Amino acid sequence: MAKILVVDDAQFVRVRYRKLLGGEGHEVVEAGDGQEALQMYEKEDPDLVLMDITMPVMDGIEALEKLRERDSEARIVMSSAMGQERMVIKAIQSGARDFIVKPFEPETILEAVDKHTG
Amino acid sequence: MSLNVQFINPFISAAGQVIESETGAEVERGGVTLHKSGTTSKEVTVALGVTGDVKGAVFYGFSEATARSIVSEMMGEPVPLFDSLAESAIAEMGNVITGLASVELEKSGYNCNIAPPTVVHGRGVYISTLDFHRLIMPMKTPFGEIEINVALKAAGE
Repeated sequence: MAKILVVDDAQFVRVRYRKLLGGEGHEVVEAGDGQEALQMYEKEDPDLVLMDITMPVMDGIEALEKLRERDSEARIVMSSAMGQERMVIKAIQSGARDFIVKPFEPETILEAVDKHTG
Repeated sequence: MSLNVQFINPFISAAGQVIESETGAEVERGGVTLHKSGTTSKEVTVALGVTGDVKGAVFYGFSEATARSIVSEMMGEPVPLFDSLAESAIAEMGNVITGLASVELEKSGYNCNIAPPTVVHGRGVYISTLDFHRLIMPMKTPFGEIEINVALKAAGE
């Protein structure tokens, strides 16, 4: 089982991730914005990060770039309600392993977690 | 402010898709009307700003009971109070609807960015940025009516 850092400014999304991933036996830690994600990554050393793009304080793309600067092996899957192609390209260019567009089915998340932590 | 009617269709389509995806319920669209008012008409309003090739704002209005019923479906458990978690859920739904709609707008050649959602509580609350014409589309769901308010125009108009 993996330790997963979920990063989303929406409390509801974090709760949904916690229920879904916790129910599968994964350990879930949370952050509400990109800046908090950097701190939590250092503290918790997660196996995978699931991170939203549009967030206050520090958005997901900036946090992705900073995490990859600190740990070039960091495994990060981005998610966003904005499914525009340019956001996907930007995230992949910045080192994201995968990109999930909301609204997502639970199976999509579980498959991504299995794929990137297996 | 001139409003472009074509801009409302992506939001209607996206709302139907997201509500069906989140709750399993089908929605029925009502007729589009034009309003000019600076006040909210529902107890709970999710507001999102739009910038880029299309600019303005989009609002989603719910009665509190409707919002709670929808959130209950999204959470998979009863939501007796419209608390911070419920607020977060209904805001996220507005965010996802608007994100999907923006993809459709982009396909039509209008690139746009969406600001994070804001939840306004109370009917009749005055919002200065609401003080312009908006197109309103009621959507009937098994949980009650959702009102989609679209006040968008092409940049430069």
